[in-house]
Amino acid sequence: MHISCRHLSYSYPGTGPPVFNSLDWSLEGPGFFGLFGLSGTGKTTLARLISGELSPNQGSIDKSRDIAILYTHSAERLPGWETVGTHLRSVTKASRASLLEALLRDYEMEDYLECRFSGLSMGQKNRINLARYLVQDFDLLIADEVLANVDEPTRNQILERTKLLFPQKTFLYISHNVLEVARFSQAVYVLPHGHSTGIENICKISCLDQQAGSEAHEELIRERVYTILKAASGSSGP
Amino acid sequence: MDPDKRVYIGLLIVWSALSLFLSGCTSKRNPGSIVYRLKWLYNVSAAGDIWAQESGIFRSYGLTVDIREGGPEQDAIKDLELGRAQFGVASADQVIRAVAKGARVVVLAQIFQINPLQWIYIKRNGLVVKRPQDLKGLCIGVTYGGNDEAILMSLLRQYRISPDDLKLYAVHCDLNPFWRGKVDLWPVYKNIEGIIFQEKMAKNGEQACFFDPSTAGIRFVANSLITSKKVYMERPKVVRDFTEAILEGWRGAMDPRKKSRVAEAIHRLDPDTPISIIEKQIDATRALVIPRGNRDIGAIDRRAWEQTRDILLAQGLISHRVDIRPLLAGPPP
Amino acid sequence: MKILERLFQFFSIYIVALGLLWAVKIVYGFSDYLIPSPLEVLQIARENGLLYVKAVLNTSAVAVAGHMIAIVLATAVGLVGRLNSWPGSLTRIAAYNLQAYPIVAVAPIIFLFFGDGLSSRLLIAAIICYFPLLLSFIGIFAEPVEEVEHFYRMTGRINWRLELAIRTFENLDKIITVIVGSGTLAMVGTIVAEFLAASQGIGYVIRKALYQSNLAKILVALFLIGLCSSLYLSLIETIGKWIKARLTGE
Repeated sequence: MHISCRHLSYSYPGTGPPVFNSLDWSLEGPGFFGLFGLSGTGKTTLARLISGELSPNQGSIDKSRDIAILYTHSAERLPGWETVGTHLRSVTKASRASLLEALLRDYEMEDYLECRFSGLSMGQKNRINLARYLVQDFDLLIADEVLANVDEPTRNQILERTKLLFPQKTFLYISHNVLEVARFSQAVYVLPHGHSTGIENICKISCLDQQAGSEAHEELIRERVYTILKAASGSSGP
Repeated sequence: MDPDKRVYIGLLIVWSALSLFLSGCTSKRNPGSIVYRLKWLYNVSAAGDIWAQESGIFRSYGLTVDIREGGPEQDAIKDLELGRAQFGVASADQVIRAVAKGARVVVLAQIFQINPLQWIYIKRNGLVVKRPQDLKGLCIGVTYGGNDEAILMSLLRQYRISPDDLKLYAVHCDLNPFWRGKVDLWPVYKNIEGIIFQEKMAKNGEQACFFDPSTAGIRFVANSLITSKKVYMERPKVVRDFTEAILEGWRGAMDPRKKSRVAEAIHRLDPDTPISIIEKQIDATRALVIPRGNRDIGAIDRRAWEQTRDILLAQGLISHRVDIRPLLAGPPP
Repeated sequence: MKILERLFQFFSIYIVALGLLWAVKIVYGFSDYLIPSPLEVLQIARENGLLYVKAVLNTSAVAVAGHMIAIVLATAVGLVGRLNSWPGSLTRIAAYNLQAYPIVAVAPIIFLFFGDGLSSRLLIAAIICYFPLLLSFIGIFAEPVEEVEHFYRMTGRINWRLELAIRTFENLDKIITVIVGSGTLAMVGTIVAEFLAASQGIGYVIRKALYQSNLAKILVALFLIGLCSSLYLSLIETIGKWIKARLTGE
């Protein structure tokens, strides 16, 4: 799986400065990657550009042939006219029914299949939404704050299980939780803050790629967190 | 706030709003200014009223008159009662119905001696309607609830014709059923639409004929000049002068020598009707307004009023017999 | 009980309005010709009640049928009007422009082609209540529900039927409100049509009463119209609530 942006420029119609200005960036999968940046730096815009929801003003996005890219975010809802279970079954291929079952078991959501989506807590909604994306055909899943409302231990467990279950897939995980991205990503792409003429470069910082059962060294995590934050504030290059 | 108090305050607000609205109904006007409510829009049926205004007859009597058009939703009698008008035009059936329900109005003059509401038909295939019996087997347009219904029903009753012997068609704004020949006789005001229909038929090489119920003895009184009893009692000079001015206006409007000037005066207020048509309408109106014999324009035909009342009574349109005599007051002596 | 609540509201308003009318009559000493006495209203109700009930039921039947036609029509045209292509744009512009014409101006054309029978009444009722429905439907159908539709779009499952289902479901309350509101207009439209050119229905009864300046008959007719409208509107509300409860599983 390969994606590369060449001289990518984008600005929202009617708004001020561009978000990206002749940006060159690439992503090579498989693997679990983080996308980090302070609020308003363009994480969601980059995700929507890659997924094809937005078209660049200038430049191009090159992808490997026939790759399926999915983009999901935390505000998504399931239709209210059916139960969670009915919906999940309707959007899951028969060959992936057991995968769905396994995910729901991991996410502790098996008992909520007869509920309507509106009746779930925010964290439960996040988990159901992620599960339905994971059982689709995809090569790259861009997950934008998809576990924002899930508690930390559960979140860690979900990320570890996801990496274990989908070693051949690529994930671009967008989060404001710097500790999380530093710990679980094999590399974190950091969008620097404070570019009034649009972002031209994205820093790539190698991270700890923590797997299930292993625990990264505290000192190492602290050092990566510091590097990521420094890059995000725009005070250092790659 | 106490809920009871809120209810009282709410009612007070509604009452105040209603009083404010109604205060417009009884507001005092300039004593010299008179509001005169017509029965319908400006047309030849108000020729004398328009001529009195346009030729300065009102002015010569020292009267300032504000003539206001009537219409389907305007009722001169209601305006008189609400104090919005001092004089008005209403048909006899309106007056009798109102008096039967306690309205305090008097009749000053009867403008139309013959009711202009008649039935028009196209003279083709030997169709001739001269007697009520000729109506048998024909399809007749009738405005249910309107005066033509009352007249037709009275005619049928008087001549012992069963409604089953003819076909009635409910008349609306769509005239096509008549032009297509689906309906044989169509009710019109002879001096207004009657002339327009006649012209249209003449263009098609057809001849228009009218069936006039008054020739069969049905006299249903039309437009009359009325005022409220209050104005009649309190301002007799104004009533006298106004009545005289109106009648002078009608005498002038019906004078063949003044026809073109009267037509122009009407045309100024009714620009949609061509002057040539208005002149023909004036000729037709003259035959309906000028009484036979030595009587003057505006003469009240008491027997016709009594017959109108009897028709209304027979058809249940009034609940009791109204005494006509005190109603037909004429101008104060 | 929504029906009882609506009926109570209607009775309260009608009684208060009549009370005020009669209070004005007494205070200003108006004759029975201007404002009829309570006795006359009762007498009219007794004498003509059955006839008027039949007339108002006739009107209501036409209004309900016209309302249904309008809902189907507005849905169909709304589906075209939501499109960004030229047929959609044309439909939207036509809908906005047509709305500006008063029905009394359009009515003669309708009567010319459809005569003065049932079809004209149906059509006028449908036209009067159709525009608010159409404008709402175009708005609802054209507005994406991003949070729900996103998944279907991403996974290539989206189609117009699904889009319509999502947008309808998400705006169910708004749709029920506008259908209830247009129900009132359907009743008004039918009465206007009858008033203009029919020989049946309560609008025709009112027209005849107006010819005779008989306010008592109009008051009785208004009572029956209000009663029927209240019943119909609460019925639609109840159906709407039932549909919503079934769909949402509440």
